[in-house]
Amino acid sequence: MALRAAVLRHVRVPVQTLNPALTLTGGKWAPPSLRWMSSHGDDHLTKSEVTDRVLSVVKSFPKVDPSTVTPDVNFQKDLGLDSLDNVEIVIALEEEFKLEIPDLEAVRIDSANLAIEYIYNHPMAS
Amino acid sequence: MSAAAGVPSRAEVLTMFRSFLRVARKFTDYNIREYTKRKAVDAFRQNRNLSDPSAISAAFSDGKAQLEVAKRQAVIYSLYAPKLKSVMEVQNPIKHRN
Repeated sequence: MALRAAVLRHVRVPVQTLNPALTLTGGKWAPPSLRWMSSHGDDHLTKSEVTDRVLSVVKSFPKVDPSTVTPDVNFQKDLGLDSLDNVEIVIALEEEFKLEIPDLEAVRIDSANLAIEYIYNHPMAS
Repeated sequence: MSAAAGVPSRAEVLTMFRSFLRVARKFTDYNIREYTKRKAVDAFRQNRNLSDPSAISAAFSDGKAQLEVAKRQAVIYSLYAPKLKSVMEVQNPIKHRN
């Protein structure tokens, strides 16, 4: 203890202030990003963007009449598609949004609404 | 004919179809990618109305074997990826960067 006190009395660490010009925000305080450890920044998709892109994927499906596609549409009941088409649409959505939807979730997505909800809440959708 | 493995359920068949479409997009060559996808879609659609349990089982095990082939070939083809993109890919500019 005595040694520690003796050392501390003689050691001085200069207090440095950061040069404002060198910091990223130019000296001004910037609010920290909500997901500052995230690898892909805060470019989360907006709901309307997700809706538009989901609907355009569904509309571009060959068997679908584009004029019948609305956000509330159920793929099999309203668009006359079968379960195979449903799988194809979910795969096409995965490609559009650069996602990998696990099988357990993928079987549940049977309407545009569910697809939009799922993709909007997915952190990696881009 | 013994149905040792049992008749595959609807969910199993759809999962296999999904696996085919997923492995199809792993091919680096545009032509093979599209071929694998088209072939999977056509084959599943063609066998959609099978009702005989042994025919369903046979088609399912055939699909399983084909899926293994596709997985293996996707890896092999990735080692010999074409240096140029197909003109079909170039015409559709990539919309999103990673």
